Parts: sequence; C-alpha cells; structure tokens
Amino acid sequence: MDPTTIMAIACSVLVFTGWLVLPHAPKTVKPAVVVSEERQPVAISA
Amino acid sequence: MKIDSGDTAWVLMSAALVMLMTPALGFFYGGLVRRKNVLSTIMHSFFILCLISVQWVLWGYSLAFGPDKAHIIGGLDWVGLNHVGLTPNADYAPTIPHQAYMLFQMMFAVITPALISGAFAERQRFKAFVLFSLLWATFVYDPIAHWVWGAGGWLHNLGTLDFAGGTVVHISSGVSALVAALVLGRRIGFGQGKFEPHNATMTVLGACLLWFGWFGFNAGSAVTSGTLATSAFVVTNTATAMAALTWMTVSWWHKRQPSVLGAAAGAVAGLVAITPASGFVNVMGAIVIGFGAGVVCYAAIQLRERIRVDDALDVWAVHGIGGTWGALATGLFATVAINTAGANGLFYGNPKQALIQLVAIGASWGWSIIGTFAILKLVNLIVPLRVGEDEEALGLDLSQHGEPAYADVSAF
Repeated sequence: MDPTTIMAIACSVLVFTGWLVLPHAPKTVKPAVVVSEERQPVAISA
Repeated sequence: MKIDSGDTAWVLMSAALVMLMTPALGFFYGGLVRRKNVLSTIMHSFFILCLISVQWVLWGYSLAFGPDKAHIIGGLDWVGLNHVGLTPNADYAPTIPHQAYMLFQMMFAVITPALISGAFAERQRFKAFVLFSLLWATFVYDPIAHWVWGAGGWLHNLGTLDFAGGTVVHISSGVSALVAALVLGRRIGFGQGKFEPHNATMTVLGACLLWFGWFGFNAGSAVTSGTLATSAFVVTNTATAMAALTWMTVSWWHKRQPSVLGAAAGAVAGLVAITPASGFVNVMGAIVIGFGAGVVCYAAIQLRERIRVDDALDVWAVHGIGGTWGALATGLFATVAINTAGANGLFYGNPKQALIQLVAIGASWGWSIIGTFAILKLVNLIVPLRVGEDEEALGLDLSQHGEPAYADVSAF
C-alpha cells in the first residue's frame, strides 16, 4: 500500500470509530442570547 | 483544430452549473444572517453575477487570459471579446469554441468576489460594495488568474498545479475577506451575544446547491468530457463527503452535539480543498484532503473567534484556509497516474512540487492582502465603506434597498 492509501484508511478509521465514543444524548439546552435590534410586537389587552 | 461536440456540451453545461453556485451562495449566506439583512446578502451574489458578466466580456477575460505581458497580466488585445470567437484556442481548450471556454471562466470570475461578501455582511454600504467588487475583480482576481492559468503567467510557467481555483478563487477571496473584515471592523453587538442564523434550512439548501454546482466547477475544468472529468467528479464528491463527516465529528466532540450547520460548512470546506487537487489526485488522496479540510477549517474558525475578528460568515476560515490546505495538499498527493499533464507530488517522489505550491500560496496571499487593502482604502475615499449605526441597526434590507425580505419585518 502506498502512503496516501494508508493515510486515507487511518483518517476514515479515526472518523468512523470516533462516533462510538461521542455523546449519545444531547446536553441540556440553554436558550441562546440573541442579539437583535428589531422591535418586538407588543401585546395589546382589551 | 476540430470542435468536439461532447466536450463543448459538457463545458457549456458546466458553465451553467457554476453559474448556479453564485445564487446558491446567496442562499447559503442569506440563511446565516439576521432576518433584517437577508435580502441585502442575497443581493450581493445576484448583483455580482450581473456586474462581472459584463466586466468579463469588456476587459476581464482579456486581462486574465489575453496575450501575456511580462508574465504578470494579459494584454488588452481581447477587450470586448475581440479575437475571442467560435474557433478553438489551442492554449486553453483545443476542442471547444473559444467563447465556450471564456463563458466557463466567466462563472469563476463571478463567484470569487461574491465569496468575499460573507466577510462584510450586515454592515457594508451597497455603493461601496459595488465599487469594491469591480475594482477587486480587475486588480486582484484578473492578475492572479493570469499568473496561474494564463498562457505565459509566471506561476503557470513555474509549474503550479491548480486545477480549478484553490489559489485563484479560494485563497484570493478568503484572504481578501479577512482583510475586509479587519478594515470594516466589527458589527454592532459583536461579542455581546450570538448572532443566530435566521434560517438554517436556507443555508443547508444553499450548501446542497453549491455541492451540485461544484461538479461543473471541478469536473468541468477538465475542459473535456472524458476520463479526467470523471476522475475529478469522483474525487470532488468523495472529499466533500469526508470533510462533512469530519467537521461534524470534530464539532460533535468539541461542542458535544452534531451540528447541522457544521455538516453543511464542512461540505463546503471539502469542496474548497479538493478544488485545486481535483484533476491531479486519486480517490485515496481525496479522502485525506477531505479529512484535513474538516479539521483545519474548523480549527481556523475557533482561532478567528478567539482573536475576535468579525469575518461574519467565516469566509477566511473556509475559503482562505481551505484553499491553502488544498493547494498545499495538491503538492503532496498529486500523481501523474491521474493526469499526465500534471506532476507527481511529495508522496509520489517529487518534493519540489510542494515547494512550488508554497510559492503559489504565498504569492496569492500576498497580492490579495495588498490589493484588497489598497482598494478598500481607495473606495473609502469616495464613499464610506460602512453604513451608519442607525442604518446598521435598522438592517441593510430597509436601509440600503428599501425592501424587507419578509413582510412581517416592516410591521414591527
């Protein structure tokens, strides 16, 4: 095998096996602080 | 020279595919900005499609591909497409009409300044953008295109391998984007919270259309419809997929979640990186190039965030760094088994090719920095580069174009 093929196989193995150890459940979601200069609609009561 | 109908059909079709990439870029970028700036962001791409289409036939093609002047620039002999007719040109494409080649190259010239627009999104004055784009295409893009692709260009003579534009398109636009971001400064509110993309689905759709169009970009650069185009098509798809997988995996490890936008950005990084190599590497080389793109471009974004540069849509990280990696990787993984008109790279026994690629990378970075900085300063003397603070707060859709992208924005 030439060096390019060896590197390609190593890269593929790294990515494919990497998924086995990655988190399988999402972290607790925090709402992002969104920067916005747009005016928000105002609630109108009767 | 005899015109080949198959080659001509493929190049014309490829030109149409590359043309689609510019509005696709508009959607890719448009989804990433806030809703008050989406129309202006899409307008950048649409406007440049019109502007460079005219600039290219008037003088752009002549400067880039016209008869060589001192190995630096093309002459003005082909201004207005004079001498650019329907018979083939032996230097560039001996089996298709010269105008078909000119048209194909036009689409590259169109998308390159459009790429830069992601850096100054949400704050550049439209009139300044118009002037900048015209000057940049003429004084930065056209000379670099001549150096690398023009008959007689000094990087071409040196033996630079750039199949579809790693230096000409991606390094030039990515590095110029960094310069533009630094000169224009940060957006109001940068660093105080996250500028959330207003429509991630639009961005993913744009990335998919870019991927589709990129087959014309790379496989079309064979300028024939045979084996080389097929090989370029295969490695383009492979590197893109590998880069998307790698980026998603790295971001999953780093941020603890697999990002959809990350996968889309990774695909674009892979497309960028394989561009210069697509006519010179085999499929194993494409996997390594895709993997490298996913890692280095992701790392470049982390660096850009750390040094607090407001390259709004990460043009430098994806195109500047992705293009640099691709151009270097071409000098590592190129093999004449794929393209006898190319050269072997470092891993095939020719370390000199890697050095040649480094020279091309350095020249492209250098001219892009100098040219872009000078043009931005010149334009700023004529018209302010940035909109005013009140215009930026209102959004460029309304302040620059008088039109909201979505009807409900104007009601607020």
